[in-house]
Amino acid sequence: MTSLLIAFPKGRLGDELVPRLAGTPLALDPEALRSRILRIPTATPGVAALLLKGSDLPRYVAAGVASLGIVGSDTLDELDMDLLELADLGFGACRLSLCAPEGVTLERLQARPHLRLATKFPRATEAWLAREGLTAELVPLSSSVELAPLLGLADAIVDLVQTGATLRAHGLVETAVLGRSSARLVAARGATLSEPGRIMPLAEILLRALK
Amino acid sequence: MPVRTPHFPDLLFGAAARLRRWEGLLMDLLAAHGYREIYPSLVLREPVPDGTLRFFDGDELVALRWDFTVALAGLLARRFPEPPDRVAYAGAIFRRPAQPWEAVERFEVGCERIQPEGEPSAEADVELARLLLAIPAALGLKRAILHLGNAALVRRPLEVEGLPPVLSKAVVAALSRRAPHRVREALADHPAAGRLTAHAEALLSDLNGPDTLNALDASPYAGLLAEEREHMDRALRALLPLLPANVDLRVDLADVAGLDFYTGPTLRLWAPGAQQELAAGGRYDRLFPELGRPWQAAGFCVRLSRLLDLAETRPDLFDQP
Repeated sequence: MTSLLIAFPKGRLGDELVPRLAGTPLALDPEALRSRILRIPTATPGVAALLLKGSDLPRYVAAGVASLGIVGSDTLDELDMDLLELADLGFGACRLSLCAPEGVTLERLQARPHLRLATKFPRATEAWLAREGLTAELVPLSSSVELAPLLGLADAIVDLVQTGATLRAHGLVETAVLGRSSARLVAARGATLSEPGRIMPLAEILLRALK
Repeated sequence: MPVRTPHFPDLLFGAAARLRRWEGLLMDLLAAHGYREIYPSLVLREPVPDGTLRFFDGDELVALRWDFTVALAGLLARRFPEPPDRVAYAGAIFRRPAQPWEAVERFEVGCERIQPEGEPSAEADVELARLLLAIPAALGLKRAILHLGNAALVRRPLEVEGLPPVLSKAVVAALSRRAPHRVREALADHPAAGRLTAHAEALLSDLNGPDTLNALDASPYAGLLAEEREHMDRALRALLPLLPANVDLRVDLADVAGLDFYTGPTLRLWAPGAQQELAAGGRYDRLFPELGRPWQAAGFCVRLSRLLDLAETRPDLFDQP
């Protein structure tokens, strides 16, 4: 029997997740966590965790490399991979928002003849533009999106907002909420449908640990 | 020389021999049950949909065969005034992959059971399920799982509620992910949100044997779906005594794959640990009427390319020849 892999996110969600797993059957080995190893043993023999960047994580699960994973719904919607979404875990809640320099209203942005939006979320941004009947040039970025309006790369940004502190530090304000995101428990379609007796008990352990 | 190519698999000695052997075994099995082969041309003059591999033949845009059922339906509707009742096929289809690890060229064997409109179809559905049950043994697959579903369990409630297409699509996507919470998110304040969420929860509450049908009691659409439930119950009663020892049978009420195509019972064959289904099919009664023929049809297709991949990565799942 091969070992089971669970994909956990690095970064913001991972920072919330790892302490919640402490003391559970899926607690991550602390020594391995302190190292640079990205495949971490858990307290359950035969079950290991992969630490992955959120935007890569759904691909590992969709390909069946990892049987289960935890990832933000914003990333899931953006990548639209073929996988199962077993539960909304509730934590990691944030908003996907249109943010502009202070004093620039949504109406002013809408009135621009050529609107430029910088974002890591082109699919969600396009869906919102379609709903609002707007058009814009999208500037794809992968990090530090808040800098784009300050340096003239874009008029506004579409990005995740949790507390708003980063926005305020860059003189930006939310002008519209496009959607909401939270951590989701995802599963490989094949593994779950062909071996539910192997995957679902592990999913139950995760759900209990994260309650 | 291109360094990034799509996945066009070359089959070396062992895999090529296995493909030929399996293709022969399955076509013999289908022939023994009265299915006669038709080989639709590899080149289609209807270059749709977008996922096809297309090229110009002179000034004319053509496509490589991307689906046997669709290619056969066009041919049968053009050439036959009455439907041939049992048809088999074998060969390759070409499709742009949705995921990078999927092959472009895919080998398949399959069959179609076609009847004039109005003929009772339950027997034909059971006949196809029985044939599918025989396939694991024919291929030397040690263990398999047959999932029985019914597309009408989702299609009919959506039709009754008259949801706009964008919301219907969102509900189907949520069910495909097996995420009832996504149904609630998608429908938000829609008047049908409570009913369709409860229905999704009922459909997704279990994935198990015949008792799974009882989950429909909790659905607000239990009355609407009584006929489909009865149909599934009859099929299960017919199939359970015939179940080979190496095949498990599960009822999958939330099977929505191909919902825009299937109209009734669906069949999917899995192996324990397989990442993708190895065979799939069901009833698609709208296909021939759309082509001007009052016929109903059902069928399934065995995905030999996936079986070849599985034999490479999980040889322990197969009897050694």
